[in-house]
Amino acid sequence: MRPFTYVRAHEVGTALAEAEADSRADFLAGGTTQLDLMKDGVLRPDRLIDITRLPLHGIEERQGALIVGALVTMEELAADPVAGRRLPLVREALLRSASVQLRNMATIGGNLLQRTRCRYFRDPTVAACNKRDRGSGCAAVHGSHRTHAVLGTSEHCIATHASDVAVTLVALDAVVHISGAAGDRKVPLTGFYRTPGDTPDVENDLRPGELIAAVEIPLLPEGARSDYLKVRDRSSYEFALASAAVAVGLGADRRIEWARVGLGGVATVPWRAVEAEAVLTGSPADGEVFASAAAAAVAGAEPRPQNAFKVDLAQRTLVRTLQTVTGAGS
Amino acid sequence: MTTISRPRLIGPGINRVDGPLKVTGRAPYPNDFAYPGMVHAVLVRSTAGAGRITEIDTTAAERSPGVVSVLTHLNAGPLARGPMTPLGVSPPAPLQDDAILHYGQIVAVAVAETFEEATEAAYAVRVGYADEPAVLDLDDPRAKVRTNPWGRDADRGDVPVALAGAEVVVDETYLTVDNTNNPMGPLTTVARWEGDTLVVNNSTQWASLEGAALAAAFGIPEESVHVVAPYVGGGFGAGLRVWQHVVLAALAARVTGRPVKLVLTRPQMFTACGHRPKGRQRVRLGATREGALVAVQHEARTASAVDDDNFEPTASVSATAYACPNVITRDVQARLNVPVPNSMRGPGTATGNYALECAMDELAYRLGMDPLELRLRNDAAVHPPTGLPWSSRAHKECLERGAELFGWSRRTHEPRSMREDGLLVGYGLAAVGYPWFRARCSARATIRRDGTAYVCSAGTEIGNGAYTVLVQLSAEALGLDPGQVTFGLGDSTMPMAPQTGGSSLTGAVGSAAHEACRALVGAFTDLVADDGDSPLRGCTADDVEPADGALRRRDDPAVHESYRDILARHHRPDLSADGESTPLTADELGMAPAGAFGAKYVEVRVDPDLGRIRVARALSVIDGGRIVNEKTARSQIIGGTVGGIGMALFEETVSDPGSGRIANATLGDYIVPVNADIPDMQVEFAGSWDRANPVGTKGIGEIGLVGLAPAIANAVFHATGRRIRSLPITLDQLL
Ligand SMILES: Cc1cc2nc3c(=O)[nH]c(=O)nc-3n(C[C@H](O)[C@H](O)[C@H](O)COP(=O)(O)OP(=O)(O)OC[C@H]3O[C@@H](n4cnc5c(N)ncnc54)[C@H](O)[C@@H]3O)c2cc1C
Repeated sequence: MRPFTYVRAHEVGTALAEAEADSRADFLAGGTTQLDLMKDGVLRPDRLIDITRLPLHGIEERQGALIVGALVTMEELAADPVAGRRLPLVREALLRSASVQLRNMATIGGNLLQRTRCRYFRDPTVAACNKRDRGSGCAAVHGSHRTHAVLGTSEHCIATHASDVAVTLVALDAVVHISGAAGDRKVPLTGFYRTPGDTPDVENDLRPGELIAAVEIPLLPEGARSDYLKVRDRSSYEFALASAAVAVGLGADRRIEWARVGLGGVATVPWRAVEAEAVLTGSPADGEVFASAAAAAVAGAEPRPQNAFKVDLAQRTLVRTLQTVTGAGS
Repeated sequence: MTTISRPRLIGPGINRVDGPLKVTGRAPYPNDFAYPGMVHAVLVRSTAGAGRITEIDTTAAERSPGVVSVLTHLNAGPLARGPMTPLGVSPPAPLQDDAILHYGQIVAVAVAETFEEATEAAYAVRVGYADEPAVLDLDDPRAKVRTNPWGRDADRGDVPVALAGAEVVVDETYLTVDNTNNPMGPLTTVARWEGDTLVVNNSTQWASLEGAALAAAFGIPEESVHVVAPYVGGGFGAGLRVWQHVVLAALAARVTGRPVKLVLTRPQMFTACGHRPKGRQRVRLGATREGALVAVQHEARTASAVDDDNFEPTASVSATAYACPNVITRDVQARLNVPVPNSMRGPGTATGNYALECAMDELAYRLGMDPLELRLRNDAAVHPPTGLPWSSRAHKECLERGAELFGWSRRTHEPRSMREDGLLVGYGLAAVGYPWFRARCSARATIRRDGTAYVCSAGTEIGNGAYTVLVQLSAEALGLDPGQVTFGLGDSTMPMAPQTGGSSLTGAVGSAAHEACRALVGAFTDLVADDGDSPLRGCTADDVEPADGALRRRDDPAVHESYRDILARHHRPDLSADGESTPLTADELGMAPAGAFGAKYVEVRVDPDLGRIRVARALSVIDGGRIVNEKTARSQIIGGTVGGIGMALFEETVSDPGSGRIANATLGDYIVPVNADIPDMQVEFAGSWDRANPVGTKGIGEIGLVGLAPAIANAVFHATGRRIRSLPITLDQLL
């Protein structure tokens, strides 16, 4: 590892100033992504700005939303009573993530910004990675890509966004609170992430030197039914091959009044399946509707030889989740 | 051969004698050794899959902070290759020329004051390659192919005629993938030169071989290499060869004149210290309608590296598995541009048994017969190739006892006929046998003035419980309490021992220790032969038996004398004796020496929509001969079971098409089972004292893993009606 400067910021303003002063600086939160990538030689910052002492640790219920400070750990949010009651799918997604040791270190801000698990991105001895080095090519397209994305891909990058909780947050219309030297702003999470296109190195809307300060998660209405289902090769401690975040409101006539659907493990960004929501909204909760919603969700999929099964698996995962939350259609 | 009075079949499950040291962090693993002035070595590996190095620029690396030396093929100097071993040739000597044989081959070593500095310097080494297309496919016509590479091919009777005449035939092909051993402890070498003597602390399963190979590499006498490895953080076979990095650590120590520490990183563990090679097997079985096997033809094609002949006899499993008059087994090795493979727990046997036992299940279904019944009907009551009686065999007992414990009779024969909680339920079984292997071994036993004993041999403890069972066997042979015996292992200056491999260590070192202890009893009787003050005067070793720290007359147990009294009266600080054990051949024994046998029963639950597979129960009934320690033996079997579940459902070393770069060389990406994947594992021991060695044991280090993959594959078929003929079985195959 090459030497770098380490600074610890205690105020948001200092952190932002430090970042502005050095274009080769990275923020350090829990470090569970950042330090791994530095050890592997993928990230080589000159300066690490430790933000863990910033006053961004609170969880607050305000006007029908939970405002979660960027430095709240995954485990803290999972243990939050309001989240447990009003956002059970968020809690579920968190508890199905990583391990308890990691969740005790990892922060919500860091989780949203975690980098892909693509082994070509994470191995700098592989030359072709547009995400690391724009224009260098994509080794995964013709390499090993069983775990790679089928939605939101381009010929330049098929790396999966691996976050679980972000899938629930895009489904819930969460909003990211961003602080920058030029001021603060709010961006809906659905508009925050960037599909790779021909610039896979640009992953989100964050501008150089900006910080995520908090995430605002609208609470589900009382009576909403929701779940997060994660399907993977082993039972625990693995990223999703496919996952589904679902929240619905079910009318007395067992019609779906509203629906929110997110898909994980299959897309280059945490995926909001608006096409599926359109099919579900106003339709009866039954197997046929679930199947067509699932088909709509993956209509734009671009499978490759080793990950073609994900198109099928994503649909089955979504159908199962809809069955679970509605108690219908199985 | 002298045998002592027989203790019961299953010995007491005493706690590991090295447990307290290990859990308090005081057991010195290779990684724990450090010496003044020690520097750190980090490997640079090829990013070409085949071809040549065209240039190698170390200027920047040499200027990098803290760097002491950068070694490449241009400055390494000549190193000789290690010796031929029963497991194949030693790996090629490192850094000898510009040839690239596989992606990840070691092309340079950076040595620096700290690990971090060496890592940074390693990044800075620039290497240019002239790439050639890598040969990676088992069927690539460019691959060099060796037939009958281990001389194990079997021919019995007339298979073509028997197959043609068989009433029922199965002819199927099974695929297995590369698996990587991945012991928890990354392989580590700490090397230093004391004058002309090379001292290494190393992760090895074979200290004696290590000495010979390093002596060969540097052209020095074997006595000038001292290997010290009292504890090794697991191996599963990874420590059975003297790998290139071991030689390079020693070279770096010589070049720099400083002690050198080299720890493989986890990604390097996938290319530098072996793996279970991929293969393809075709199995043809012919049977009568009543289920009597009339023909078995088993052909296996297994990968190896370009310059390697890794011992992986796979098809030969079928030569001894069942009573069948007509048998052909054929092993073929295809040499590819891949890292050197190596034994991985149950080498050859785990894969060969997988194909055979899946085919047996398929045969049972073609016959409409209970798979258990088919196995029982074809039991090899005698050793099939020779017709000799086995030295012990409780195979039928394992199958029958297993069926009873497991509740096999609750199984309904039709696939997809059992369900619970919305899940498909499947029961599967596999019969297993593990080949007998034993090598010559020596040991030395000493009793000291205080009545305690020290016994030693150069075998290695790799987490298997060796210290504990060897203490137990020695204590028994000397009539001492286990607490009075210390065992020494893992030092090449101790009496020669073979590898901790082939499930042979307890048999080899245990027998040698037994002989040494017997010889020591003889040394005591010799000492008092003319001793007028000893009640044992005139006794030979055969006239006495050891008990309670003393020797007593067999014909009159009331007459005895303690070791302490004898030593004190003779003014001896201690008394020692050497022992050696040489395995007897089948001819000498008049029996076929038997390895362990067993039966594996598995229940799986499969989600019919999502394809998720869970192993709900796993039962192993093992005939391991005499079980010295119930607890460590059980641990061997449950550890093997976890490995077997990994092989069946999770583990696959994926490599990139074209280059052979390993695409999942981390423990995050190479999937092994986690606790939540592991069910309740039941282990039961059956059988009797084995007659092939004086301590009555059979090896149980590997049989725990063997048979899980076919039992699971068969259970998945029973649950779903889907016959998946490749490993690992993953949910995408069941959608
Ligand atoms: C073995 C393993 C298994 C895992 N399994 C899962 C899983 O199953 N599901 C899942 O969702 N995740 C999983 N993860 C990912 C894990 O959740 C993320 O690594 C973690 O959430 C990142 O948070 P952190 O605080 O450690 O971020 P860091 O590593 O400190 O930072 C990550 C990135 O975000 C930047 N950053 C961090 N905070 C901010 C901020 N407030 N503002 C601006 N930039 C910031 C950093 O500069 C860095 O680039 C796993 C990780 C590991 C190592």
